[in-house]
This record gives sequence, structure tokens and C-alpha cells, in this order.
Amino acid sequence: MRLVSWWVRRLVSAVLTLFVVSVLIFAASRLMPGGFAEVVLGPFATPEQRAAMSEKYGLDQSLFAQYGLWLSAALHGDLGTSLLSGEPVAGEFGLRIPVTVELTLLGIGAAVLIGVPLGVYTAVRAGKRGGGALGRLAGGLGVSVPEFVLGSLVVFVFSRYALGLTVGGYRPLGEDLGANLRSMVLPAAVLSVFAIAVTARTTRDAVMNVLVEPYITASVARGETSLFIIGRHVLRNASIPILVVLTSTTAYLLGGAVIVEHLFNLPGVGSYVVQAVGRRDYAVVQAGVLLAAVVFVVLNMLSDAASGVLDPRFGTDRKANR
Amino acid sequence: MRIRRFCTALAVVPLVASCAAQAVPEPTATQRPGYLAAADPALPPGGTVELQMPVDTGAAGGLDPQLADVAVSWQLMSLVYETLVTVGPDFEPLPGLAERWETPSPTEYVFHLRPGVTFSNGRAMTAADVVGSMNRLLAGEGVWRTQIGPVESVTALDPATVRFRLSSPYTPFLSALANTPAAVLPMTEVENGSVDLTKTMLGTGPFVDTFHRQDVLWRFKRRPDYWAPGKPAADAVNISIVPQEPTRIASLQNNSANLAVLGNVDAPQVLAGVRGVTVRAQSTTDFYYLMLNSNAPGGKFADPRVRTAINIAMDRAQIAQVATNGLGKPTGVTPVDLPDACDPATLPSATAGLDRARQLLAEAGVRNLKFVITAYATEPAPAVAQVIQQNLARIGIEVTIEQLDEGSWAGKVYGSVPAGFDAALSWFAGYAGAGMVAKWWNPEQAAFNLGFMKPNPELNRVIDAAAARPDGPDRAPALRELCTAVDTDAQMIPLVTRPVLVGYRHDSVSPTVYATEGYGNAFRGLADFRLVGRP
Repeated sequence: MRLVSWWVRRLVSAVLTLFVVSVLIFAASRLMPGGFAEVVLGPFATPEQRAAMSEKYGLDQSLFAQYGLWLSAALHGDLGTSLLSGEPVAGEFGLRIPVTVELTLLGIGAAVLIGVPLGVYTAVRAGKRGGGALGRLAGGLGVSVPEFVLGSLVVFVFSRYALGLTVGGYRPLGEDLGANLRSMVLPAAVLSVFAIAVTARTTRDAVMNVLVEPYITASVARGETSLFIIGRHVLRNASIPILVVLTSTTAYLLGGAVIVEHLFNLPGVGSYVVQAVGRRDYAVVQAGVLLAAVVFVVLNMLSDAASGVLDPRFGTDRKANR
Repeated sequence: MRIRRFCTALAVVPLVASCAAQAVPEPTATQRPGYLAAADPALPPGGTVELQMPVDTGAAGGLDPQLADVAVSWQLMSLVYETLVTVGPDFEPLPGLAERWETPSPTEYVFHLRPGVTFSNGRAMTAADVVGSMNRLLAGEGVWRTQIGPVESVTALDPATVRFRLSSPYTPFLSALANTPAAVLPMTEVENGSVDLTKTMLGTGPFVDTFHRQDVLWRFKRRPDYWAPGKPAADAVNISIVPQEPTRIASLQNNSANLAVLGNVDAPQVLAGVRGVTVRAQSTTDFYYLMLNSNAPGGKFADPRVRTAINIAMDRAQIAQVATNGLGKPTGVTPVDLPDACDPATLPSATAGLDRARQLLAEAGVRNLKFVITAYATEPAPAVAQVIQQNLARIGIEVTIEQLDEGSWAGKVYGSVPAGFDAALSWFAGYAGAGMVAKWWNPEQAAFNLGFMKPNPELNRVIDAAAARPDGPDRAPALRELCTAVDTDAQMIPLVTRPVLVGYRHDSVSPTVYATEGYGNAFRGLADFRLVGRP
């Protein structure tokens, strides 16, 4: 029963968060200087053309009315119409979401495949020669170098020495798998650096916390192999912080994808929303930010759910601690 | 030890590679006077040309060419749509869909249509399409309605002949007819509603568009039934929209693009020595100009003497050298690369001297003038603003530069009447006829200026007179008078032309690109492009 009420509170909190985000993004998009009429119709447009455009898209109504219409439509699954292309925003997102999802999955995949083993290695080697230094170097560099700096460097280097990889030559996955991977490796690598570093650091701390537990000492005393101890005892017990950081990092990667997509000219949701901001294409901007908020909230809830599965005390403990 | 060897190899390989990457000169067969490059006809046709450009069409009028008001839209639409006449590399009118024409009087033009021209749906183009297109243009709200001139009537004399009557002589008429908004449209389909021109392109041109995703990609394929034999040479053209300059440069370097339009004036240096890559600066008739808001808060520029002083302080040669890396040229209102354009060095502002500027400020009672220049953030606009800032410091004017994204810039400059900015920097397309762009100095014709510009009846008279004066010995003085009038009015001050950089892989494509462009159409010769290295 306590678990149910915890989940109800969680859902109410999520809905409230999304409501506040929707208000903020609507207000922010309308407060941007320069309107759609100036940007897209251009200076040559007559006042009549501007008025007709405003009326066509309901921009002549009060802000409250516009917000109400937008929210009502969004709740019914209608994200509006792109002011620029005249196409439904949901359809435009549908074309671009696969690119962003692929990029994010590659990034998080790299975090799991590289970050977790690196974290375990540095934890096991803590205090020994090389281990601590490697962890600090990887963690420090990965966390502190922003994507746009690293991305620009990668674009510069790999434009001269491509090594079979492409910069800016995106091909859809379904069209040509090889070409797709060649165009996605570099952006995914840039995007994953932060995730790898954070995952490695978290894994290292979590593993070190477990390594000092008495049952690990007992396992060693029983003569169990290091691999068995790590797989059987350490990772299982260190998994919740790793899972939490991977979930929050996934949300971060979706944000980082905006910059990486822009740098590498990948036609994903991020670059689409960035261009929409420049064009004051309100419907796209609002839908993009709302979508990001939904993904963030859902990922956090999934993280909590997964944590509960891994450790049944998770939700109830939180309640008990209050 | 192994790590040390690996690190050494990492350091040495790029060094060796960069030494090996020496420039390969472009074949001389692709160079011709008037052209940055000319496609080598000996190369086999076929293949797909991969191009990149920084922005997509973004007009609210969609794909309707008559509502297109920016060069990038003309560039893309011109692959599908064609005009009665076109312009050559020296801006001379050349046959297009009209194979020839006569001018029985200064107000009458008779065009004889080319036989065998069809729209991409297979229907033959007729004089009715021409008449319908022009009447639609004249009745519409596109900006080109103003540029096309005082057209009184368009009549089909027979299925292959069309007559235009003008209400008064208009010298740039043929130049204006040569731009995409004056394209011949499939009027039968437009009128019966089977084609929506805002969403579909259906023209007589060498290509048909097969795919478009906004801000991502265009795909075009060749029309096998195109009227010009052997054209287009390529089977298909992909145009990727790549906003990031470094990514376009990278695509050229690693050969994933055959040709890219570049914006950074340092691109020739950045790409110098890259094997197989040529970067050429295309001169254009587009030019940067400074707007001085006559309605500015506090009346900063209401006194013409203040505006004149600012105009005198402009060192156009320095702006061209520093901000455009020597690729732009000082210009008056008649873009300097056009025939008969006035010489900017002879303008009153260019010959007056800084003492005169200081004197004018003193006469106007202005001391310690401070104002803000609003510039958008796209290079080289901020650099142009910086040079202006330094120029004006010489006469004691303190300028603050405000950099905005283009949306914010447009909102501030055009969003209200009267406009609330002090000064703003922008550029105009200069078109292909001397004096065409001068129409925008008449705020009663170009309503977008009314927020910051006061109508000047004398200037308006000179603008109209220059447009009506026929080609010949009398035209140059009329254009000089126009340049002087704009220079004296100084509400919008022409500065320097805006270069366009075209980078291409001469080891993978043999392109045709004019040395000088009037309509911002770097892809004008795309139907001639041939790929290098095809069997």
C-alpha cells in the first residue's frame, strides 16, 4: 500500500512538472524577440500578409487562448503544425526521432561497455600503481571537456584524416547500414565521452563501497575468483547507483545530442529544434522542449522502477526515511 | 615501450600525411573567362552530384517562386523553374524559354518562345502559360512585382509569341525577367487546381525534385525530356543543408561533398593545401549597407548633416580589406560589378575628408555622439560592424555593437513603426541591373523601410529616372546621379559587396560557376556539372 501511494505521488509530481514546463516553454518562446512574421515573411512582407499569417496560425489571439489551445491539442496528441513547413510537428518529429534515439543509444551503449569496466578496473586497482591515475585522467577529461569543444576538434581532425569515417554525411540506418555507422561513430563518440566518464566515476565509487563490505572479505577468504566476486557480489550490489547514473545520463545525452547533431549535421530532433528557435517556429520549439521534458520525467520514473526491482527496499525506504 | 612507439606513431602519421597532402592544381580545361570554373564537356555524363549549402528555403510562401524573395530560394527553385531570358556571365540577357525577342519601342517587348519546351508533367509550354504567369505575378504580393517594372499588359500574339507593353521605359526589364520569380509556371494546372505551387514544384527546368525534408536535404533527378540536348549532364543532384561551416569544410576535405557554398572569408586559407580542393571567391552584386534610423530615439540621425558625417567617415576600402578579407569591393548603390555602375571613389562621401565630417557634426551641434549598431551574428557582419566602429571613432563617435541572432535582429529592425533601433547593418541582393536595388531606397515602394526612413521626393525622382534611361552613353551619368543622391541622403549607406565562396573538389567534379553573380545563384550552371573519375 505504501508503495502504491509512493507511485501515486510520483505520478502527480511528474504531471505537475510537465505542466510547469509547458507554461515556461510557452512563455519563453513568446518572449523571444523577433516574431515568426519578421523572420519567415521577411522585410518585404506587407502588413496585410503579416496579419493573414498571424490569423492563420492563431498568433493574433491572446497568449492565454493560444496556450489553452496548444495544451489541449497536445493532450490529444496533436503537437501542432510547423509554421515554416506547414507539416504536422508530430510527423516531422517522427522522421527525426530515430536519428536522436540511435545517437543516444550508441552513446549510452559506449557508457555501459566502456564506463562500467573502467570504473570496476579503477576501483579494483585503487591504491595500486596506475589505477587511480587512469581513473582521474579519464574522469577529469571526460567531465570537463564540453561537447562543442571536443566535437569541433574531432570535426577538424577527422576532416583531414577521415579513416573511413564521415563528418556530415549522414545516411539513414535503413538505407545503408555501413554508411550510417560511418556517419554515426564520431558524433556518438563525442557524445559518449561525458557519459563514460560519469559512469566510470560512479561505478568506481559504488564498487569501492562494496569492496569494503565483510561479505567480500568472506568471499576472498573462501577462495572465490576475482571475476566471480565482481560479477556475483560487487556489480549486483553496486548496480543501483550505476543504474541511476545511466538513466540520468541518458537524459543528459538527449540534451547533449542537440549540440552534437548540430556540429555533425545529423538530422535529429535536436538540430531541428535549434533551427526552429532561429526561425521562431513556435510549435516545433514548444513540442521539442515538451518532448524532452516528458522523456526526462519518464526516464526518472523508469529508473525508480528498475531500482525497486533490484532492491525492493528502494521505494519503501524512501518513505520510511521521511 | 610499446606505448611510447604508439605515441610516436600518433604524432608522426598526421605530419607525414600533411606533407603528402600537397595541392593538386585544377585542370586548366575547366577555366574560362567570366567563369570561376567551366565544366569539361569531354567528361562523361551521369552520376550524382553532392552539394552542400548553409540554409534551406524558409519562405512562408512555400515553394511558390513568385513569392520567393531571397537568393537561396531562387538558387533551389531555378533547378526546376525557368524564365523567358537568362543572364550571362557579364550580365548580358541571353535566350531562355524565349529563343529570341524584339524591342519595337522602348515600351514594347515581343518574345518568341522556344519550341519543344515541356513542363515536367509532359505538357507543352505555351504562350498562355507565359501570359498567365506574368498576370499572376503582377496581381500577387511577391516582392518581384515591384522589380519587374511598369508592365501594362501581357498578350499572346499566337501560341508561340508573347508581347509585353510597359507604361514607361524600364531598362532593367530583361534583367528582372531573368530571375526565378518571373519563371513561367504551368498555369493550366495552377488554374484548375491540380497543382499547389506552395507545395509542389512543376516547371520546365532541367531537374525535378523527388524529395525534400526541410533544413535537411533536397534530391533532384534529371529530366530526360529536357529541351536542351545533353542537359543536364548529371543523373541526380543531392543538396544537403549544412548550417555549420566547419562541417561543410570537413565534407569538402573528406570528399563527401563535391561542392559547398562557404561563408567564412578565411575559408581559402583554411582549405589551402588540401589535396583536390579548390576554393574560389564569387563576386556578387549583393552588398552590405548601414541603416541610420531617421526616427531613432532622441533624433540622433534626424539631421542630415549627422548622417553625412557618418557616411564620410566610412572607409569602405578598409571594411573590404579587413572584414571581407579583401574579397569584397567598395560600392555605391549601383553594385560595383554591374556595367555602368558608378565609381564609389568619386562619391561625395569618399572625397570629402574627415575634417569635413567633424565640421558637419559641429554645425549640427552634436558632441560626444554615441549610438548602437545592431548587427546579426552571421559572419562577416560582426567584423563589418567592428571596422565601422573604428572608422567612426576617428570623428569622435562612440559606437556600441549589438550582435543578435537573425530572428531578434529582424524583430528589432522591422518589427515596429517607427523603428526603435539606432543603426543596423544588413545586406541587399544587388540583382542584375544597375539601379534595380535602388528601388528599396524609396520607402513608399519598399514599405519595409518606413519604420526608419523618411521619403525623399528628390531621391525617388532620381531612382525612377535612372531606371527609365536606356542603355547607352546617357545611362552612366544618370546612374552617377543616383549614387550621389543616395550618398547624400545617407539613410541607408552602401558599403562593400558581399562575396560568396565556392569550394569544390576538382578531383571529383567539374562545375560551371560564374565569376560574378547577380541573383545569388551559385548553382546556376548545375545542368552542366560533370563528375570526374567516372568510367
